[in-house]
Amino acid sequence: MIGTEQPIIELKKVSKRYARDILALDEVDLKISKGEFVFLTGPSGAGKSTLLKLLYLAERPTSGSINIEGLDLSGLSRSQIPQLRRKIGVIFQDFKLLHNRSVFENVALSLEVLGFKREQLTKRVKQVIEGVGLGDKLYRKVIQLSGGEQQRVAIARAVVNRPPIILADEPTGNLDRKRTREVVALMDELNARGATIVFATHDETLFRNTHRRVILLENGKIKED
Amino acid sequence: MPFGIILKRAFRDIRQNLVTHLMTTLVVVLTCLIFVFFNLFSINLQRIADHFGKELAIIVYLKKDVSQEKVPVLYQKIVSIKGIKEVKFVSSEDAFKRLERYFSNEREILAGVDPTFLPPAFEIQIDKALYNPNRVKEIAKEISKWNEVDKVQYGKEWVDRLENFSKMVRTALIFCAALLLVTAAFVVSNTIKLTVYARQDEIEIMRLVGATNGFIMGPYLVASLLQGLLGSGAAVVLAFLAYSYLIKAFGNSSFWESLHLQFLPAENIISIVVVSGLFCTLGTAMALRRFLKL
Repeated sequence: MIGTEQPIIELKKVSKRYARDILALDEVDLKISKGEFVFLTGPSGAGKSTLLKLLYLAERPTSGSINIEGLDLSGLSRSQIPQLRRKIGVIFQDFKLLHNRSVFENVALSLEVLGFKREQLTKRVKQVIEGVGLGDKLYRKVIQLSGGEQQRVAIARAVVNRPPIILADEPTGNLDRKRTREVVALMDELNARGATIVFATHDETLFRNTHRRVILLENGKIKED
Repeated sequence: MPFGIILKRAFRDIRQNLVTHLMTTLVVVLTCLIFVFFNLFSINLQRIADHFGKELAIIVYLKKDVSQEKVPVLYQKIVSIKGIKEVKFVSSEDAFKRLERYFSNEREILAGVDPTFLPPAFEIQIDKALYNPNRVKEIAKEISKWNEVDKVQYGKEWVDRLENFSKMVRTALIFCAALLLVTAAFVVSNTIKLTVYARQDEIEIMRLVGATNGFIMGPYLVASLLQGLLGSGAAVVLAFLAYSYLIKAFGNSSFWESLHLQFLPAENIISIVVVSGLFCTLGTAMALRRFLKL
């Protein structure tokens, strides 16, 4: 899906400094339109993960402003952060799953926090898990799944509440070629349904020969867009 | 979020982490058990002290020159004092007769002794319902001021000791209760902290998917409240079983009967259970506050 002109994510002169001599992001200006599929790339330490963390407010910028769906994040109080995070599905390289819980329980968590009724929740969760091809492993403990399957659970959890934005931080970093292709295909499908996707990766093969927008970060600055 | 959902999540959480929850409850049981036993001991000690105190009498020795006509007047004066149950006049002759009875086997000791050499006296019994060591002291002091009175004996040392002992027990109870509460809060909050540390990944994930602090804290608080209530309740039941066993095993002896032991009164049991529940809940809230950076 090609993005419309209205920016859903907007960064203005955003910097993030961790210590006096560690500048992770340096006055980054960025606009991402609604419905866009953006690859965020660059070498390790370029600031990809930092940028994503600022978007879901795991961290606050040192300077500059961030707008998501017209909401200025700098004015957001701690108690308002959950409301923002419900609009953003995050997929992590290390999956961040509850290993002693079942596939169903992991995915259901995103809807439980929204107060979904049990019947509605069960229906939606089963639907999404089937969508990522794990319908036969609904009640398996996550620890019993392969890396690729675990990543699909993480994707299911990120999308089950139908967030308008999906942030993926190196989601294929731990996967083989075949599983990587499956994950990218899933993301394509979600984008086709209208989600804005920011996909951080250092694997050039994922976006080479595609029509997707690619943003190259280096030393905390946007080098190419 | 509706309370029903919080309860459901709390019970699911308890099921999934049963061992951890049982260990925390066990810590609460042991802490409360120490407190319950101490409370039981101090309450019964106080009861024993009060019981013996109530048996004390005041003896008012009159001057030998007090006329017979004055006796009924003094009697009325004593009876009108609040807190007095019974007054008995013992004349010099009656006192001598008692002495004779006491030396019934060695009557020669009293041979030639003037039967009126002992002073007349009033024996005063204190009303048990109104007993208070300070009151005994006050009554004795008041009577000793009268002109007709030579000396007042009321087991001063006993009353003073009893009073000091009661004070000491009360102070020790307050001190130990405070110490135990601090220890309990420390132990319970650390146990809870360890539980929370062990599950910080889960908390982090919940926060990342947009859970509010209420959603995250709710089940922990409910579980802690249950741990506090069940732990203290179990401690009271265990203490009661131990108490019942002791009464059954030794309660028939006259010594035990004379001690008039009793279990904790209802208000103490309710206080222990409620305070324990609140402490556990507050401890958890404080441990979670640091994680949730509230």
